[in-house]
This record gives sequence, C-alpha cells and structure tokens, in this order.
Amino acid sequence: MIFRTTPVTARRPLRRVRTAPALRPLRHRLDPARVEEIPFQAPDGVRLGLTRVDPGDSGRPAVLLLHGHTASADMFLLPEARNLVDSLLDDGYEPWLLDWRGSRRLPYNETGQRYTYDDVALYDIPAAVSRIRERIGDRPLSVVAHCVGALALSLSLTAGLVPGLAGVVSQGVFLTPKLAGRTSLRMSLAGELLRSRVDHIPVDFRKVGLRSRYTALFALASRNASCPDPTCQILHNSAWGTGASLFVHENLAEATHDRLAELLGPAPLWILPHLRRIELARTVVRWHDTDQRYRALPPNALDAAGRIDTPVLLLSGSENGLWGDSQRLCHDILAHRQPQLDVRYTEIPGYGHLDTFLGRGAALDVFGHILEFLGERR
Amino acid sequence: MRDMNEDATAHAGQRAVAESIERGGGDGGGLSVTELLALVAQDAREAAVEPGAPGGAADSSVPDVEGLAAAIAKAAGRYLPAGHLAPDADFFDAGGSSVHAVELAAELERDLGVELELDDVFADARPVGLARRWLETAGAAASLALPAPPAAPAVLPAPRSGDGTSAGTRAESAPGTRAESDPGTRAETAPGTRAESALGTRAETAPVTRAETAPGTPTTADLPPLTATAAVATAATVATARREDLDQILADLALADRLPFVRPPEPVPPRRILLTGATGFLGGHMLLDLLRHSDAHVHCLVRAADVETATARLGESLRRNRLPWNAEIRRRVTVLPGDIREPRLGLSDELWHTLAQELDSVVGVAAAVDFLRGYRSLRRSNVLGALTLAELAATGRPKPLHHISSIAVFNEVGITSLGEDDHLAHVDRLVAGYDQSKWAAEAALRRARDHGLVVSALRPGGIGGHTKTGAHNALDLSSGLISAFGRFRTVPAFRHLNVAPVDWVSRVAGAVVCEPDAWGFDYNLTGVPQTLDDVVRDMALGGMHVRVHDWDEWRADTLARLEADPVPELAFLTRVLTSPTALKLCEATLTGPAAEGERTAALVEALGLPPAARYDAQAQLRTFERLADDGLARLPDKDDQPYLWFTETTEGTVRPLDGGRTDGAPCSMSLTLSLASMYQLVRERRLDVTGRVDCPAAHPEPLTVVRGDVWVRPDEGIPHRHGTKHQLLRYRLRLRAQDGELWWLEGHKYARARRDLWRQTRTLTVELGREGGPATLAGEVVVPADSYVRDQVDGIQVAPHLTGQEKRAAKLTWLAWFGLEMGRGLLGPFARAGADLLDLRRTPNPTEHHR
Repeated sequence: MIFRTTPVTARRPLRRVRTAPALRPLRHRLDPARVEEIPFQAPDGVRLGLTRVDPGDSGRPAVLLLHGHTASADMFLLPEARNLVDSLLDDGYEPWLLDWRGSRRLPYNETGQRYTYDDVALYDIPAAVSRIRERIGDRPLSVVAHCVGALALSLSLTAGLVPGLAGVVSQGVFLTPKLAGRTSLRMSLAGELLRSRVDHIPVDFRKVGLRSRYTALFALASRNASCPDPTCQILHNSAWGTGASLFVHENLAEATHDRLAELLGPAPLWILPHLRRIELARTVVRWHDTDQRYRALPPNALDAAGRIDTPVLLLSGSENGLWGDSQRLCHDILAHRQPQLDVRYTEIPGYGHLDTFLGRGAALDVFGHILEFLGERR
Repeated sequence: MRDMNEDATAHAGQRAVAESIERGGGDGGGLSVTELLALVAQDAREAAVEPGAPGGAADSSVPDVEGLAAAIAKAAGRYLPAGHLAPDADFFDAGGSSVHAVELAAELERDLGVELELDDVFADARPVGLARRWLETAGAAASLALPAPPAAPAVLPAPRSGDGTSAGTRAESAPGTRAESDPGTRAETAPGTRAESALGTRAETAPVTRAETAPGTPTTADLPPLTATAAVATAATVATARREDLDQILADLALADRLPFVRPPEPVPPRRILLTGATGFLGGHMLLDLLRHSDAHVHCLVRAADVETATARLGESLRRNRLPWNAEIRRRVTVLPGDIREPRLGLSDELWHTLAQELDSVVGVAAAVDFLRGYRSLRRSNVLGALTLAELAATGRPKPLHHISSIAVFNEVGITSLGEDDHLAHVDRLVAGYDQSKWAAEAALRRARDHGLVVSALRPGGIGGHTKTGAHNALDLSSGLISAFGRFRTVPAFRHLNVAPVDWVSRVAGAVVCEPDAWGFDYNLTGVPQTLDDVVRDMALGGMHVRVHDWDEWRADTLARLEADPVPELAFLTRVLTSPTALKLCEATLTGPAAEGERTAALVEALGLPPAARYDAQAQLRTFERLADDGLARLPDKDDQPYLWFTETTEGTVRPLDGGRTDGAPCSMSLTLSLASMYQLVRERRLDVTGRVDCPAAHPEPLTVVRGDVWVRPDEGIPHRHGTKHQLLRYRLRLRAQDGELWWLEGHKYARARRDLWRQTRTLTVELGREGGPATLAGEVVVPADSYVRDQVDGIQVAPHLTGQEKRAAKLTWLAWFGLEMGRGLLGPFARAGADLLDLRRTPNPTEHHR
C-alpha cells in the first residue's frame, strides 16, 4: 500500500557515546596541504577546532577569524566566492580560524553539553589566542569576529583575557546588542514557551522531514517569504523563528544560497536565557553570578570597556536585520563614555548581517575596510 | 539630472557674473570693430582658422572673422588649464567650465565690445563660431560685406589623403579615423562656413557646397535652402532647434552608416567589459554593480595622460561617490587612459585592436552633461563618443554595446507619452543642446542596429542620490531643485518627476549588461514617477510643509531669493533658471508625462532584482543630509521658527555636594522645549531648550539657558552603570547668569522597575556645576502633577503658518512618538525583572533525540 509508510525510528546518535566529537571537514578550495587542522581542546575539556592556513612564507602578521553562533569557519572559506581568507592571504596575512563551541562543525548545538557565552569568552577565545601566540611568537595578532563571536570576544577583551591584540574588527554587534522590539519579544516569550518542548531549532528541512514537531515553525517562517526554500525562509525570513532577517537575499550568490544549511546549523534554545539577559540589558553581561569559576569575567562588559587595549573597528551592514544599528550605538556610547579608546564605525551600505561575509560582493564592499584597518597597524 | 557627468560643468562656489554682462561691462564699451580688427590683424595672420587649410586665400578673404576669433581665442585661453585655445577648438572641450564661460563673455564685452548672448556662448563655444555669431547678429556682416569665400569649396572637400583616410573607403578602419580627420573638420566647419556664406551672399550655393563636401550625407539634400531670414528666425526664437545644429545632427547621424556589418555576439555573460564614464556618478555605481554581480574584469576608460593619473582619478571619484576603492577592486579593474572624444578613444592602435578582440561587452556611460551648452559643444562627447564605442563594438569580436541614453530624448514640450518603444521626440523641437546630443546618439545607434550591432539603449530619467549612502551629483539639476524645494519651502507645479535613485538605475543597467537575453532593447530606467502630491506629502512628513507655485512664479521667486541671499553652491541653479534653452528643458521635464517602463519592469521581475520603488522621503533622506552637508540644501535648525513647542516647569531642591548643608535649597526651572522639525526628533531624538533656571544656591540671579538639549531615551536607555536604572531623558543645559557667570546643568529622568511610574516620568535628577568644573550641587526637581498635562499636552503650540490640519497632525505625531518612546523606556526595567523571574524556571531537559 502506498499510504503505509514505515514508522521513522529515531536513530540513536552515535556521537553521544563518543568522548571526543569529530569535527566535520571544512569545505574550501585551498591546497589541502596548506590547511593545517590543529588538535585543540578548551581548558574545560571541550573539543574545539583550530585551523591555520599556511601562507607559504613565514613572518606574516596573524589574523584570527571568529565565526558567529551556529555558523563555522566555513563562512570565511566559501569556495564559490572571493572569501576573507583569500583576501587576507593576498594582502600578506596568516589566517587562523577558530571553531568555538557554537560551531556548526561541532555537535554541541544539537546534542552536546550545554554552555553559555561565558564559556566561550572565558575558555575558547583566550585559549585559542594563547595557542596561536605559541606558534607565531611576537608577531602581531588581530581578530576579525562576527556576531556572537564578536559579542563573546568583547567579554574576553573587557575581562583582560586576551591582552595585546593588534586590532579587533567586530561585525554586526559588539558591546551593546540590541534587537528590534518584535524580535526581542518573540525571543523572550515564544522561545520560552518552546524551550520546554524542543531544545534546538533546525534549519534544514530535509533533515527533519515534512512531519515533525518543527513543521509549524517552518510554516510560520514561510509567511510572506519571497523565496520558496525552507532553509532560506527560516534564516532569511525568520532567523530561527525570531522574525529577524539574517541577510539581504539579493547579496548571496546562488551557490551560497543553496548551501545555507551547511553554513548555518540548528540554534539551541537553551542559550536563550543568556541571550535574553544580554539583549534586555542592551549590554554584554555575564550569565554566571554565583559560579566563582567565571569571576574573571566582568558582570557588565560595557562598564569594563576601559580595559580594551586595542583599536576596534565596528562594522555593520546598513540593513542589518538582526542587530539593527547596535554598532552605531556602541560607537556613540564608547565615544562618550570611554573617549580614550580608538573605536571607529563603518557602515556597509546595502548589506545585512551575514552577507557581509557570505555575500558575493563582500570582497569588494566589506573586506576592503577590514584590510585597510588591519593594514594601518601591521 | 540625467547621467553621470564626465565633463564637470561648473565649479560650485564661484559666483555667476551674469549681471555684470547685462550691465554692460562698464569700462568704455571697448573698441569698435574696425579698431579691433586693426589691432588683431597681426594675430590673425598667425593663427589660422583651420590649420590644415591652405591659408593664404582665407587670410585675405575673411580677415575679420579670423581676426576676431583669434582675439577671442586669446581671451579664452586665459581661463583654460592649457593656457591657450585654438580658434577652432571648443572652449568647454578644452576644459572651460560654465562659470568660466560666463566670465569670458563678460570680458569679451568689456575688452572687445563683443556682446554675446550667454546662450550663444554655450551653443557654440569655438572662438571662430563666436566671432561669426557676433558679426552676424551685430549686423557687422552687412557693413563689412563678407564675400562668399571662394576658397571654401576648395578647402572643404573632406577626405584629406594625407591622413590615409578616404571617404569612399567603408572599410572597418574608416570609422576609426573618421572622427579625427573626416567629420571632425568637415562636419564642424562645413555648416558653419555655409551659414556664413549664405548670410553674406544670400545665395543658395550653400547646400550645394555642402552636398559636395559631404558625399556621405545624403540627408542634407532634403533640407530647404538656408536663408538669412531662416537663420535669424531660428536664432530669435528658442522654440525650435537652430538650423545649423540640425544640419550638424544629420551629418553626425550619417556617420553611423560607416560602421561595418557585424555578426551577432555570443549570448554569454560578459567576462571582459569596457566601461566609460566610471569617474562619473552613474558610471562609478555601475562599475561596482558590474563587479559585484558578475565575474567580469572591467576596463575603465578614464580621461588622463597616463595610467597613474587615471587610476588616481578613478579612485578619487569613487571615494567622492562614497563607493569603495580598495585592492579587491583594483584586482578586477584595468584603467585605460583615454578620451571618448578622440578617435579610437585616444588609445594606441595596438591597444585598440587588442581590446576589439578581447572585450566581450562595451558599456558607454560617459557623457557631457550640461544643460547650458549647445549641440556643437557636446557632440564630440555625446555623439561621436557613442559612435566610436559602436565602432569598437563592431570591430574584431562582435560584442554588444550598452549605451546610457537619457529620457531627454523625449524632452519635447507637449510630448504625449514616454514609452520604451515610443517614437523619440522630434529633433527639430528639441532646444537644449544636451537633449539634442542624447537624441542624436540614440538615433545614430539605431542606425548602427541596422548593421547588425546589438545596441541596448538605457534611458535613465533623473538620477537621484543613493538611498543608502546618500551619494549624489552635486551639480545635478535635481540636486539643485531638491535643495531649493527644501530651502525655500516652495515647489513648482509639475506633472511628474521621472526620478529614480542611482542604486536602482545602476543595478538594473548592470543587470542588462550581464544578461544576454536582455541585450539589444530599449529600457526606460525611470523607476516610479513621482507626482506633485507625493512630493508635497513626503516633505510634509519630514516637517517641511511646502507651498506649490506655478512654474513661472516659482522661478521668479526662487531667482529673487537666490539673488537676495546668494548660496554659492546653488549658483549653477541660477544659471539654469536664467538660460532660455535650459528653461525649455526644465519646462519639458516638468510638463512631461510619466515615463513608462514595462520592459524594464519585466526584466526586473524575471531577474529577481529589487523592484522599482518610489523615490520617497525615506529613500531621499540620506541624500538630503548629504546635500545639507555640502551646503546646497538646509536642514531646519534651532534658529528657525520652531515647528512645535511647549513649556515645562519643575520645582525641587538641590544640596551642595561638599556636604556643608543637609537641607535642600530650592531650585526651579521654567523651560520651553521646541522642535525644529520631525527630522530632528527621529534622527537625533533631541529637543531644543530655552528658558531659565532659578537656583539661589548656585547664583542669586536667575540663570538663562544659553544652549539646551533634551535627548529622549539617550543611548537606547542603557544604564550608566550595571543595574536596571535605565535612562529615560537626559537634559544638558548651559546657563548664564546676568553677570556673565557660566554654569552647566545635567539632568536625567530614569526608569526603574517600580510602581511609581507617574513619578518616574516627572522626576529629574540634576547636577549643577560651574563651567569647566565638577558638579557642586545635586538634587531632584519634579514637574508638578497638575501642570504636566496642562503644559505638555494641552499647551503644545505649533508654528502659526501651518494650516489647522497640519497643526493637528504635527501635535498628534509628536504625542504619539513621545508616548511610544516613554512607554518603551518605562517597560525596559520591567522586562528585565520579568526575565529574571523566567530564568528561575528549571531548565527543562527534553529527551529529544537527534532529530
């Protein structure tokens, strides 16, 4: 009978029994011999990914790239477009890519142990920086960070855990995260309601099938969508159900659009309380108030912004549909409260949030600003 | 208003001196013609009108024209970068600007007694042309009895064998050299000479001469013989084109017939594109769009002596247009120093042939955009340049030519429709040289289509500033008009404005270049036409209530205001509004129908491009800000009559911070909060404050507010220090006592998660201190509950010149905006408290399997 289908039996995830989860391989078009995967664990024992792209010669300044939450180092290595790693290599830098615990290449968002952004700021970023410094010696090291990567970096910086960077480029958001009212409301309330039933929101419809507990979410995300691709809908039209928009659709190359599910993974819902606390305060705040292991982190990163010891370039697309004009706000506040800091703000006209790195014209419109900033202090 | 500006027209900042010309130059009216001729006779022999011509005969036959031309050339040379001007070279082509032209005209009148209409100078800015024009109009022709120059037919037979070109050779190389040797001299000199001889002799030999000299232009035979009366008639009225311009246009159109026949190009997206005009406004944006949306390498033709200068020029102009210029762009761009006005673009033969073989697309954006200059002065850039590009497209590998035309090809007063496939305007009813040159270019390229060339004609209307960056063309007519609308708060009545923002125009034009199926058609890139109502409503939304005037009334009013209170940045607008030909152009634009763009709309939909949207207030906002930055437009500020205001009184106490006294000293404030515009509110979230502060603890006399600001929800309400005390309002006042002592006052209203909301909205925590010193007094002042609603809701005053409806709208808008902001501000701390409660929930641990 054609109507009779075999019931889907949930496969037991093998990863749960593994002690060291494997990283999904990177997709790039570099010479595989030049891409060095460094075995790397955070100080709390969580397996992370650290990748060095060998530029062929030594003595170049290093640049660490931090991806956003649920994305991965793949976002800087798009094979179908001129990517940031290409630009950095051509401009004389040595790129390093960290897959922190929120990476799509790692399983934690979906199945693994929980974490908050405190862990990223306290363990992942400082450990990666010191690991890189072991290799590069006293060559300058800059950081280019995107979205939550930048948010966590701001916490590490204000805690003084990553001193002496040559420069920091933060894209999308930095010390003052601010969401649009509706996004904030949905995240706070709807997220709270969902939280007891599901623990993550997937983006790949093919992985969950037509009949699943997520179907309603996908259906909701498709409201008023211009693109029929469910993955695109839940990201572009809804940003994991929050109603924000992650990129300007037109800016993505078709090939990038078709592999969005590979670039961005499921979003865990258990991160929402921390994100919500940060967003409502409009400031990066620590989650753990009583856990003494986290006391190195400041309770409020904006109050501790005076500890930032490096020039900062705040980048943002003018059409950022997730964080809005957070970067402009951050620049204004820092100019006013910490006038001694070297903070500048550059707005990329016509770009959204994610397309500043994934967009097909990103090299022309965005990377120039990054290279110019890095070039001033190499 | 139209396309990019390759030949920058006027240097803003210099004052027009047209008035001085009208007043007649002053010192002595200059020499008489005979004296003048005696004076310059020597120069005349040295400077031949046409260097290649056998000189002797011309010398003796028309010494007056040549002599005068030489004198004019000498005067004109002083305004040019090169320092000299050949009598037969165009003043503007040689680098002169409109401002210089005005000054030159004044100088000619003052020193030489040559009185020329400014429009004549713009129409034909060659010294020899000016000399002829003056001799004709001043009646000197009669007294000096110019004989028909016998040498003329001998001089003019066009193809000079020395150049290796023959008019009979219709080989592929012919159009390449023709622009230099052939039409350059023949087409330009022939009609001029003919007009002169016709005037002198009243004979009908001219067309014959013409037909002989230009065998490739059969169209001239259709023309009625030119008589002096006809010439005078065309000069006297500006309703129709001048005869000599029409002749020139027809001669130029015929050049298209020399193009070779070509095969269709390969229908694949281009990999190597030649782009002209990349240093212009539209061209720069198109360069970026071509790079972004294709993988092509772009060769940019830039007018400069060498590659370094050209590259620097390109980079500078991209930056000026707020476009990126970095290593990533340089990787994909090759800069070619050249000039569209030159044969073979001023490129070496080797390079020309290499390009002809390697390029697979030619995009012509470069054009001289100047609404004052005449056809003759613009044709080399706008018509011959387009034909040279057509030649490049037809030579070697066949490639499509994408030509940026203009909606100006329809710019005829009384035209009924502007569809993409409608007939172009009647060229004899186009008056402005710019309109004529764009018409001629498009008509010539239509002929080129008959040779198999794939030509797309892209016709932007007005090109507005970028919706995101605000980049705009400061010398553009629409920039000037928008600035004048906002500055004087009046608009002329118009039917439709066919304006689209540059980002959309450039994006669609770029898409046509990259999409083979789109090649070879005509597109109107005019976006959604704006009606008068739209514009008036948009401006009212921004707090700029404008009044509509009739066009003539508006023009007179604007000119009067510009004269009374000159704005150097808008001097070019004055020039346009006083030039009869440019006025025709404006009139045709303002009375014209809405442009239709069905094919463009279909293309946009098929390719999934952003659909055309009305260029509304929101889209114009950035541009308007930039215009204000550049000094063209003016944003409302606190010195203007406020748009809306109300009073606020507060009472409370302050204590010294040094702890000397513990009981509070009284402190009260009586303030007026005002808004210059809604723009200020939405953009800066700020109100202006005036009034006084009575604080005996600081100063026995009342302190007057010198400058005061109130910010609503500053920094998005982010607390000063970690906690839930969010900022609602911030007051910053600079105070002055009668004895000149200066104080500052900083006040805050805070939102907290407490139930005394009514008090939170009224309580201001203040600190006072001497100018430059720390705070010495601190305390709290409160708006009395009974006066709050009375003053701040009922007591709102709106600018009296507005209508009742506008007043009510203004008041409601303010109350709604402020109410929402306060609501959001007050809610913030409660939301955080609520979230803290939610965080107490046990984190559920659903047994969710992998999927």
